[in-house]
Amino acid sequence: MSYFKITLIRSGIGMTKRQNGVLASLGLRKRMQTVYHRVSPDVAGKIMKVKELVAVSERERAESRAEIHKRRQPPCGFVVEA
Amino acid sequence: MLPPSRLLFRPLASAAVRPATQHILRPAAAFGTSSVFRQQQQQQLPNTPTTSAIQPATPTTTTTTTTTTATTTTTPAPLSHETLKLLPLLLSQPQHYITIHIHAFPFLVTAGDTVTLPFRLKGVTPGQTLRLTHASVLGSRDYTLKGAPYLDERLFRCHATVVAETAEPMRVKEKTKRRQRKIKKVKSKHVYTVLRIKEVVVRNPFVEGAVEQVDAL
Repeated sequence: MSYFKITLIRSGIGMTKRQNGVLASLGLRKRMQTVYHRVSPDVAGKIMKVKELVAVSERERAESRAEIHKRRQPPCGFVVEA
Repeated sequence: MLPPSRLLFRPLASAAVRPATQHILRPAAAFGTSSVFRQQQQQQLPNTPTTSAIQPATPTTTTTTTTTTATTTTTPAPLSHETLKLLPLLLSQPQHYITIHIHAFPFLVTAGDTVTLPFRLKGVTPGQTLRLTHASVLGSRDYTLKGAPYLDERLFRCHATVVAETAEPMRVKEKTKRRQRKIKKVKSKHVYTVLRIKEVVVRNPFVEGAVEQVDAL
């Protein structure tokens, strides 16, 4: 039960149609987006096709989109007192 | 006349910088089994830097300190000895400024300032009082206290009142192309929240009977 954490570090603009197709299949739409996929040979193959564009690490738990958004959101900076 | 001595506090070591662990790992030989790299990664868990003890005001061995992290759940780390030594000097000055952060936007303010935010602040209504919790710089004419990235909350207190939610004048953007008679008009009229900074208070809670220097409106 392990996941690849894949982050798009380099944009797909100007890359080949094949590479952009792989990014689309991984679900990476914009730069610095992070997705989680189960570790498997086909996902590993997709990563190898776009390995120059992504940063990958292995995690036990996958984060949901809401969790990623909450983690990346900056602190609000104030508290309503009255 | 002597130039003002600008003593900068040593910036507290930032624990918020995450090590760049993103790199391509070779997949394990059999997918689904325990990974050697995963075991290695578990051993390299980031250190939790905070300690609960507060440094006393009397001189002791200087320790390397860490900062308060952005999350409010962790306890703030103790301040360095140099910071504690210079804090009374910062307090002794008559006027102070503070760089507050609202949704990570910085605003350098003093007591009595009227700040028109470049957005509508959600969840507040005019008349409410806000306590600002995140500040990165607290300074006066001769001294500056910098947080990395934010200051310890015990060092300051800053209140602001929501004055109004005001709108900009209506502006119309005309969208068209050359040799094209059709013109599309797009209207914009954004709403901005106006705050009034009521007080900027520098505190020194590490001294007998916590001392404060209040700059109020």
